[in-house]
Amino acid sequence: MDFSAVGAAAAEALTLASFIGIGGGVLLGYVVGVIPGLSRSVAISIAIPMTFYMSPYIAISFLIGLSKGTAAGSAVSAILLNAPGEASSAATALDGYPMAKQGKPKTALQIGLIASVMGDILATIILIFVAIPFARVALLFGPYEMAAILAFALVFIAGLSGGNIFKGLAAGGLGIFLGTVGLDNQTGLPRLTFGYTELMDGMPLIAVAIGTLALSEMFVQSEKLRYERADMAVQMKHDPNDRITWPIFRRILPTILRGTGVGTFVGALPGLGPSVGSFMSYGMAQKAAAEPEKFGKGEPKGIAASESADNAVIPAALIPLFGLGIPGNVSAALLIGAFAIHGITVGPLLLRDNPELLYSIFAGMILASIIMLVLGWYGLMVFAQITRVPPHVVIPIVIFFCLAGMMLQGYGTFGLVILMAFAALGYLMKKYDYSFVTFLVAFIITPMLELNLRQSIILSRGNWEILLNRPIALVFIVCTLLALVALILRTIKTGKPVAGAPAD
Amino acid sequence: MKRRHLIAATAALAAGLVAAPVAMADDWPTRPLTMVIGFAPGGSTDIQGRVLANVMEEYLGQPVNVVNQPGGGSAVAFTRLANTAADGYTFLFGGTTALTFTPIITEVEYEIDNFEYLAAVAVGQNAIVTSAEQPFQTFDEIIEHGRENPMTYAQQTALDEAIIRAIAAEEGLDLAIVPTGGGGGMAPLVLGREVDFAYSGGTHAQYTPTGEMVVAAFMSAERSPFYEDVPTLIELGYNYSIEDYRTIIVPQGVPDNVRERLIGAAEHASQAQAFIDITEGNTFFPVVFIGQEEMEENVRRIRAATEEVMAD
Repeated sequence: MDFSAVGAAAAEALTLASFIGIGGGVLLGYVVGVIPGLSRSVAISIAIPMTFYMSPYIAISFLIGLSKGTAAGSAVSAILLNAPGEASSAATALDGYPMAKQGKPKTALQIGLIASVMGDILATIILIFVAIPFARVALLFGPYEMAAILAFALVFIAGLSGGNIFKGLAAGGLGIFLGTVGLDNQTGLPRLTFGYTELMDGMPLIAVAIGTLALSEMFVQSEKLRYERADMAVQMKHDPNDRITWPIFRRILPTILRGTGVGTFVGALPGLGPSVGSFMSYGMAQKAAAEPEKFGKGEPKGIAASESADNAVIPAALIPLFGLGIPGNVSAALLIGAFAIHGITVGPLLLRDNPELLYSIFAGMILASIIMLVLGWYGLMVFAQITRVPPHVVIPIVIFFCLAGMMLQGYGTFGLVILMAFAALGYLMKKYDYSFVTFLVAFIITPMLELNLRQSIILSRGNWEILLNRPIALVFIVCTLLALVALILRTIKTGKPVAGAPAD
Repeated sequence: MKRRHLIAATAALAAGLVAAPVAMADDWPTRPLTMVIGFAPGGSTDIQGRVLANVMEEYLGQPVNVVNQPGGGSAVAFTRLANTAADGYTFLFGGTTALTFTPIITEVEYEIDNFEYLAAVAVGQNAIVTSAEQPFQTFDEIIEHGRENPMTYAQQTALDEAIIRAIAAEEGLDLAIVPTGGGGGMAPLVLGREVDFAYSGGTHAQYTPTGEMVVAAFMSAERSPFYEDVPTLIELGYNYSIEDYRTIIVPQGVPDNVRERLIGAAEHASQAQAFIDITEGNTFFPVVFIGQEEMEENVRRIRAATEEVMAD
């Protein structure tokens, strides 16, 4: 490593302009992340025009800070309102919201923040020192491996929903079905679009995510408020015990480290994305726990697992970007554009031609994490005040933001109709205990799974034996089958199989 | 290259001729404009469009806001544009395949005649690429290798697939064709040598400078000035090409003064250093200026030629 370049990089990272740029990015991202219905894509579309007036280093650090901020911020609405701003924070709500209702909202928020920041910093360090030279490893994961991993993720996440495997399969099946809407990616012919141009690229993900996650939750809460008069709002008491303590931190530390590992692995493979990362991490934490039955009822490890992985994915997605020039996710693809507008081509050549810039960006990323910690720590005191607002005020405001967030995506009235349809679907699924998480993850994964499966089948020319030369794919296929068998056994053992359901 | 000089010369001449009426139409625009991009942020159209918007802003004296309306390879954006008031305040920047190709394979709610093609400022780059680590580097070597071995190809559109299928049939190749879902999905398949060769609509600009990817042939009608040694399919004796122009498009029937102002802005952009630097230096698209008359003709000619290829 060239130390004069590193020194110069650190110097640039510590100028006032960069503090303002990065801090502004983190703050904007955090605020947008906190508001249910507004997500990372909204934050980025607001931010892109701003980056024209910044130096390349500040522009890029600003965008990275923004991504980090949304990932950390979306945990707040997940914990306090059970209305995650992003699909990737849905796993956080599983334990965060129960914990907040048990009178520990601040502890939950602090666990989320610390897990986010640690996942973030550790993954950034892995990115800097370890991963870029090994970025080519990602090329070992071809279509066969990706298809196998995605199938595994699908079954594994379906298992998290607990309850009845058959209901889980129904929810997952519906997600897969709706995930196939749109133009066929080989022939270009429309599938199930019913003549709507808006559906050519599939059901808009934002509408599906906001509808099933945030908007439907507002319906559920309105109903509770009306019929049960249930005091479902989280109460913030001035409880001196409501804070993260050293024993809690020690207890969740291994989970954070595992979550970071999972998040980094998922992020380094182009296309998997943060929701797969956070749910995989959550599931692994549950499997590894001594008392897995506590998950879903306010287990601190659940929050830590989800948030650390969610945030680790963001720096890790830059591994294939800087190492190979391949964007790992949408935010990374946007960075290519941000670089290009400033006349820089992202990829392996960046390290050779512009090392100062690359080191400055790394320094900026670490700075962004630190700013996020400070901002989040004091910010959560402010955001926690949300809990003082009565639910009959909060609910309409959240509904407004959900609708506004959808309008910002540029789908017009059509988008609102789709959003409402998915909110209704999410409401029914919650009411009749079908896992909306399984549904959503299946929906998100399907296009990738379909593409990779199709590539595998065509490239192998239908010959199964090719898998014998792909050990990684083989391992994941075996794991998928084992997980499926285990899930079916669990449903049978817990004793309430659907009457008359066929054994297969 | 010769053609570019010629175009530049004509452009300069045209600039002189239109200078007078422009002064009279100077009151337009009186409010900010919207540039619609039919793709997500970050792609080559988006990058070029954003720089173009900045440069057009200088000329028009009003802000030009960029709005991304991705979906169906710009089909969504064109559908919206067809239903927009023809006042010139909303225009689209992008390639023309959603007009010359998409309507052939799927039903859309717009037609070529719904729009006016004011000016093209960059020429689309369609290439056939392979990994530098493959035993074959040129298109002829690919064909030769394919006569002995089964081969794989990664497509991105039904059009490039149709062309490669036709060539494979002519040459007697045993070819399996996989979908990729775009340039971002193509790169790992080629670099990881999961496929032997692939279509690239411009993504190769990111990988050829490192020497990881090589361009075997161009599907465009002409050679690229950035890869002067790489022949086109037509030069290699296959009578197929995919032509595409990055064009400024408005709904049919904009007022004459508006048309002139927008064409003037496009011409100004085609000579602006900022636009040339990014478009040629970063995305490897040659900058040109092709006026409305020629573009109207081009779009219709390409559509007819594409219909012929797809009919097979």
